Amino acid sequence: MFDIQLMGLLNATLQAATLLFIAALGELITEKSGILNLGVEGMISIGAVTGFMTAINTGNIFLSVLVGILSASIFSSLHAFVTVILKQDQTVSGLILTILGLSLSALMGKKYVGKKLPVKIESVFNIDEPKNIIEVFLNQNYIFYLSIFLMIFTAYLLKKTMFGRRLEAVGEDSKAADSMGLNVNKTQFIATCVGGGFSGLAGVYLTLSYVPYWTDNMTSGRGWIALALVIFGGWKPYRTAIGALLFGFLEALVPRLQTYGFELSPYLVKITPYAITIIILIGLTIYKGGRTGAPSNIGIPFFRESR
Amino acid sequence: MNHIILEAKNITKSFGSIHALKNVDFYLYESKIHGLLGENGAGKSSLMNILSGIYQPEVGSIHINGNKVKKLNPDFASKLGIGMVHQEFRLINNFSIQDNLTLSKANIYTDNFKEGYEKYSDIFSLSADPSTPISELSVGEKQKIEIMKLIFNNNKIMLLDEPTAVLTPQETNQLKISLKKLSNEDNKTIVLITHKLKEIQEFTESIFVLKDGVMVAKDLETKNVTKNDLITLMMGEIKQSDISKDNKKGTEKLIVENIYFENMHSNVPTLNNISLKIRSGEILGLAGVSGNGQVELANIISGIERQYTGQVIVNGKNISNQGVKVRKNLNLSYIPENRLGVGLAPGVSIIDNSAVKDYFKSKFGPHLSTNKMLDYLNLLITQFSIKAPDPKAEVSTLSGGNMQKLLMGRELISNPEVIIAAQPTRGLDINAVEALHDLIVKQRNNGSAIMLISEDLDELFKLSDRIIVLYEGQIVKEFAIEEADIENVGLAMAGLNE
Amino acid sequence: MNKYLLSKKLIINELSTFYSFLIGLSIGITIGSIILLTQGQNPIEVFSLMLKLSIGSVKSISSSLNKATPLILAGLGISIINSVKLWNIGAEGQIFMGGIALNFIYISSEISNPNLMIIFLLSSSFIGGAVCILFPAIAKVLFGVNEIITTLLFNYIVIGLTVYLVNGPWKDPGSLNFPAAAYVSKEVYLPTVFGRLSYGFVICILCTLGVHYLKEKSVFGYELRIAGGSALTAIYAGINAKQKAFVAMLIGGGLAGLAGGVELLSQTHRVSTGLSQGFGYTAIIVAAITGMRPFGIFLVGSLFGALTIGGSVIQTMGVSSYISDVIQATTLFGALIAQFFFTYKIIRVSEDV
Repeated sequence: MFDIQLMGLLNATLQAATLLFIAALGELITEKSGILNLGVEGMISIGAVTGFMTAINTGNIFLSVLVGILSASIFSSLHAFVTVILKQDQTVSGLILTILGLSLSALMGKKYVGKKLPVKIESVFNIDEPKNIIEVFLNQNYIFYLSIFLMIFTAYLLKKTMFGRRLEAVGEDSKAADSMGLNVNKTQFIATCVGGGFSGLAGVYLTLSYVPYWTDNMTSGRGWIALALVIFGGWKPYRTAIGALLFGFLEALVPRLQTYGFELSPYLVKITPYAITIIILIGLTIYKGGRTGAPSNIGIPFFRESR
Repeated sequence: MNHIILEAKNITKSFGSIHALKNVDFYLYESKIHGLLGENGAGKSSLMNILSGIYQPEVGSIHINGNKVKKLNPDFASKLGIGMVHQEFRLINNFSIQDNLTLSKANIYTDNFKEGYEKYSDIFSLSADPSTPISELSVGEKQKIEIMKLIFNNNKIMLLDEPTAVLTPQETNQLKISLKKLSNEDNKTIVLITHKLKEIQEFTESIFVLKDGVMVAKDLETKNVTKNDLITLMMGEIKQSDISKDNKKGTEKLIVENIYFENMHSNVPTLNNISLKIRSGEILGLAGVSGNGQVELANIISGIERQYTGQVIVNGKNISNQGVKVRKNLNLSYIPENRLGVGLAPGVSIIDNSAVKDYFKSKFGPHLSTNKMLDYLNLLITQFSIKAPDPKAEVSTLSGGNMQKLLMGRELISNPEVIIAAQPTRGLDINAVEALHDLIVKQRNNGSAIMLISEDLDELFKLSDRIIVLYEGQIVKEFAIEEADIENVGLAMAGLNE
Repeated sequence: MNKYLLSKKLIINELSTFYSFLIGLSIGITIGSIILLTQGQNPIEVFSLMLKLSIGSVKSISSSLNKATPLILAGLGISIINSVKLWNIGAEGQIFMGGIALNFIYISSEISNPNLMIIFLLSSSFIGGAVCILFPAIAKVLFGVNEIITTLLFNYIVIGLTVYLVNGPWKDPGSLNFPAAAYVSKEVYLPTVFGRLSYGFVICILCTLGVHYLKEKSVFGYELRIAGGSALTAIYAGINAKQKAFVAMLIGGGLAGLAGGVELLSQTHRVSTGLSQGFGYTAIIVAAITGMRPFGIFLVGSLFGALTIGGSVIQTMGVSSYISDVIQATTLFGALIAQFFFTYKIIRVSEDV
């Protein structure tokens, strides 16, 4: 009995972590190129609603995932345009993107509230009430396995390939990268759109698997946690995954606490992930003494003509 | 006769209302070392930035081997074989030497990096392992990597912008040998961009001279040109002033005793047992290559750095370990080498910057009276001939010379007791340099005790009464001005004493 | 062949932010019209009703200004903090914290003179906002922890706290379908100046003048400017940049808390999850597009208040509230883009000789 409960907790942890991790990984890529995108919450939302709408109207899961990814990617290109081409402040642009994304997705999703999905993203092996870790892993769905692949692929890309090193170079020192012949604008634009696509994937996972329905304020701050995760993970894919697991665990734990006999107001317990994030963040920053691993150039727009 | 490998015709470039280049023609012979001479602000960097594709000219064209080139950007310029080493290095600090040499798309040593690295680190006498991060290299070593970057990118045309500014006399000599090898044995075409006559004459075969954006001399044969010819071409009228060294020296105004300071990031003491004294009416020159403790010493004397052991005494008052405001109250002025970034705040208006020294003295009222601040600024403008039309404009819109005049004016107008001036004339044209030197000498004659920190040996010899040399945080040698010459000071700067 | 280059203008037109907002507004209205048309609504009818009901009468102007008050106060706070190049993303949480602090003090103390009590309560809301930003401020100043993330995460903590309080210890049994705290007594409602216009707006005007003075004319504001320009210059000048930044953050957080207190005493009269509907975030953007200028924030904030009132009112016509959200968001986005054109010049470059 206890085993099943524990495995249930692990199961929920993995699912919550997958969602957070995919969004965080995308933002990691964006930030590695030197662009800060605070619009993650909005992009997840856009991916979530468009994926949901497509699923309701077509019943085609694959198409829904694709639409979710593409919509969020296109949406994030607005941010790319404003920050990379127009060189405007990245913090402000990202915030507007969140506000715009949330309001647009609320508007689009209005008619779909409460509707039932004809299909969901099913788990690969569909094991009812997994009893051990292996069964839990096999119970996950395609997106979970995809996220593991993306983690390994991204880590390899950044450290071992020319493409990844060049991406990092742009985020480290855009002027030096430019003088090496690297196209800073193109790199940053693409990295932002790719990051957006990842957030879209996370959004689709949210509405077609994790939750799965559509309502107002679906994302409930997960985008912000994803942002914190990037810092927490020191801009390294594997560390970010560990952070995602930690927060996934907290998110999974909260509704289960009462069943374990903890007499705490559910409202207060809901605060704990955020509080713990801050504490861990502060602890990490102190521990690292300011050398957090952030791309040195992040947030600073690139001008070739500056004199 | 070598053929012309690169030619720029009729280049014109402006930045806002500043005309950097006007109808400039410039050409290079294959495998020769050329010199581009001109004062600071003459347009040398602008021309080079255009050749390397970083800037676009409004008018003009560029030709490679006789063929006109369409649109030039750094990527394309590199493909055509043009590469530039800038004064501020474009190396990625946290990345390794190997990364910096191979990340460029134009890298030709993709498969045989090791061989290439061995060959050229030999030519440059560089002994660092390729996995070393750039942040751990010395300035001289970083420059070698910068030049090697060009070679690795198959740049046969190498533009070097003021390369000797950061080198000791011995390193400069080594650079000369390396460049000659590259031009004679490795078929590289080299351009040395500088305002230093000595290097032009020793390094180059062909000289071009730029003055105020106009090319006033083309392809002069180096051996047939005299220093005076070049000076006349570069500057027009020479404002030479002879500094009399029979200034009266009075009481000791600044005493520094047994300063020991450790920089947080290393265990080697940054300053080790520094003691010196400066008297009223005296200029003490502090020689040394950048990074040997000058900035730290200046920060300690000015009160910015407070964690050290030792004594700092100004006008008899012991102010060790106390802060900036105490110094200001004792009328100690500090002109930092980082003009825009420390002395002046970027992104902040001219009028705000002018008040940095005295804002807290209620000089401008209990709150800040804009009128009083404006009066003060106008006083500085008239006294120091600063061209600053709009007080509310950002300070970085001023020219380099005017920024420095603003900075120095602000610091000198109170007739300070002690002045610390670090690299005060770096990057400025001859007229501005003369004007600033006059200011310094005037203050000396008014009785200030002055510490002049400079990498420019000519400047040090011209102004100082005594010269001390800082090497790796220690005073290794002291010279009275009569005993000092380029050689013994240069040796001391490199840490080599008899 | 022509090419175009970007070149930053040396001096920026003071009125540019106002123009940017108008341009943004036009874009917002255009997008809104398109959406309305797809919903089968008549844009002209909708927008003229919006106009009438937001600025068409003294009553509606008063409502708009009341609506704008917390937005302006929060924006002023953000503008002070941004002097040292820091961002306060936590204004939303600080607004709620201001309300919580006010209610807490209200419950635990008794002052007979209502005017004195009001002042006391508003002061506690200011302190509440400052307390809310205290932790991120200390973390930033002592350890360099990114204040964007910390202030942001605190929003969720405070809002979570609010939800807990209005469902738990402060739950008003009389409020049946909406969890909220009990109403404060009528004695401490902020009185109106005339008609509907609350004294909150007067506080707003005073704060605008005060923040303008602080930023432009005071020694403190000067020190913030220098520290914001370059931390190294501040050290060189003998300015303790960290200390100034800390104080600036507390004041900024306090102003956002005050916004919450004013909103409570003049509009909602109780603590609830509806105390702020995202004004804390909107204030950031409003402050940004006005270039962090207090008078600009006052002006654009007022206009935005009108836009919000107009947006909420057209719901009676059957227009979804989400549409007005989208119009607002698009307006801000458009204003940001418009700002670009006022800050940069485009130079045309010709190729050949």
